Amino acid sequence: MYDDRELILEAKHVTREFPASNNRTLLACNDVSLNLYKGKTLGLVGESGCGKSTFMRFLVSLDKPTSGEIIFKGKDITKLKGEELRQNRQHIQMVFQDPSGSFNPKMKVRDIICEPLLNFNRIKPSEKDATAKKFLKMVDLPESFADRYPHNMSGGQCQRVAIARAIALEPEIIVMDEATCALDVSVQKTIIELVVNLQKEKDITIGFIAHDLGLIQSFAHEIAVMYLGNIVEVLPGEDIGKNAMHPYTQALQGAIFDLNMDFSKKIESIDSEAPSPLDVPPGCPFQDRCEYCMDKCRKEHPKLVEVEKGHQVACHKFGQA
Amino acid sequence: MALLEIKNACISYGSREIVKDFNLTLEPGQLCSIVGESGSGKTTVIRAVLGLLPGGGKVTGGDILFEGNSLLGKSKEEWRKLRGTEISMIFQDSGAMMNPTRKIGASYVEYIRTHEKDISKQDAWDKAVRMLERMRLPSGDNIMRSYPFQLSGGMRQRVGIAMGMTYEPKLLLADEPTSALDVTTQAQIIRQFMELRDDFGTNIIMVTHNLGVAAYMSDYLIVMKDGLIEDQGDRDYILHHSENAYTKMLLDAVPSLGGERYV
Repeated sequence: MYDDRELILEAKHVTREFPASNNRTLLACNDVSLNLYKGKTLGLVGESGCGKSTFMRFLVSLDKPTSGEIIFKGKDITKLKGEELRQNRQHIQMVFQDPSGSFNPKMKVRDIICEPLLNFNRIKPSEKDATAKKFLKMVDLPESFADRYPHNMSGGQCQRVAIARAIALEPEIIVMDEATCALDVSVQKTIIELVVNLQKEKDITIGFIAHDLGLIQSFAHEIAVMYLGNIVEVLPGEDIGKNAMHPYTQALQGAIFDLNMDFSKKIESIDSEAPSPLDVPPGCPFQDRCEYCMDKCRKEHPKLVEVEKGHQVACHKFGQA
Repeated sequence: MALLEIKNACISYGSREIVKDFNLTLEPGQLCSIVGESGSGKTTVIRAVLGLLPGGGKVTGGDILFEGNSLLGKSKEEWRKLRGTEISMIFQDSGAMMNPTRKIGASYVEYIRTHEKDISKQDAWDKAVRMLERMRLPSGDNIMRSYPFQLSGGMRQRVGIAMGMTYEPKLLLADEPTSALDVTTQAQIIRQFMELRDDFGTNIIMVTHNLGVAAYMSDYLIVMKDGLIEDQGDRDYILHHSENAYTKMLLDAVPSLGGERYV
């Protein structure tokens, strides 16, 4: 089904360790390999602290991995420096979780949207007004918003402006870090619709971080589930809900409050919290919360194995023949 | 007799009327949810019940009755007897309500000793630890010795619930208790709320913007918009029989597995 897809970015064996107190290391990303395809959405799902934001920050060069490479346009972007790095930034843009926190509170919306364009000399200062209006229209905001300050807008409106700023440079990839989780569910829906329409129009690749499987399945082409720094399952977006295999993915599914669910049934969810990434146990990272845990899981780290086309699982239960 | 009765309450901040003609009758054993978008006045309503309206906020009309007695015009001393023991509240981020420079133990012991003047510090500490462990927090002692920022969001929320439930209040008000949490943690906390009702017989009023969560938990739902009650009814009515366009819009926005796909 994905034969027509065009590889745009390739992350190979990316690992990131942070130094912690007492000579320990915090393993935020452990050997993560993911691909982004042109015009497709990759959803990265996991609990807080599982390393999903850390990984996405590499793509926008906000941080560098300890080892591994990220290939974009034939170059390893983790090795870029100086002017080359600056020029590369216009191809990959980001939308942050807290919309108002990512704006300078003293700048008007017009300046916010046009700043990246001015930085790369794409427009002259005299064209600012017309450009800002063009982009506001694109994200379904009235033109009069150009004169507003961030504090005069609601969360959803701020997020629209943040999207306008991200698409202003016509990037090939946009990374969205929980871009909707601070919003009401009703506003969340309209933002997702906007993002999907922009993607279709401009053929943008999107890397979307979320913790809600219900949300991500509505618009992601491919979903990667992350747990304690490891990718535990990669599967096509439409397969989630019926074909997810990893016990962790199934636990995430069980935690969704669905309107069609059986209300008399007790909500199923894993009880304990994720262990600290400071002392990841040897073997499978999910062993202590998994109901199918076997002896092998405590000793051997499961590798991602392709179980069917486009579907990879890292679990000893599957495919380790 | 209804446990809580709100009759035609109008609430204003300064001269702006935020909530108009709000009515709610909570029968004993009921779990009620108030649903609406940001700015619809849902938090204002439950803050008014506990007399916690921020500066300038006032109930300008109607009445709020708790077990038949009006809550309006209570003195500071009367409120002190009521809050925590009869009615308590859980906030969106329980970490933010705790003093960040004091350990949880210090805050919790102070809280208990405010309500029980003659309890010793050691007894208060033990009581707190027991309560934390009842809320499924492992090693309560450790938690008492931590600062709020050392705990994860879900753990902080459990500490908040433990504190709120210490005196087994008849009425628990929860203001978006799971909005800042992961879906997995949200499921754990929601399950805990349901158990509170079974174990302690607590009545809960829950404020949320997620109709999916509200529908799972509540017997009765109130949909608010712009300070007015837009729609109300039991779960079956709201989910399947409501003709209200706004309710339908909210229902439609809940992300679900196997739901609509845009791609």
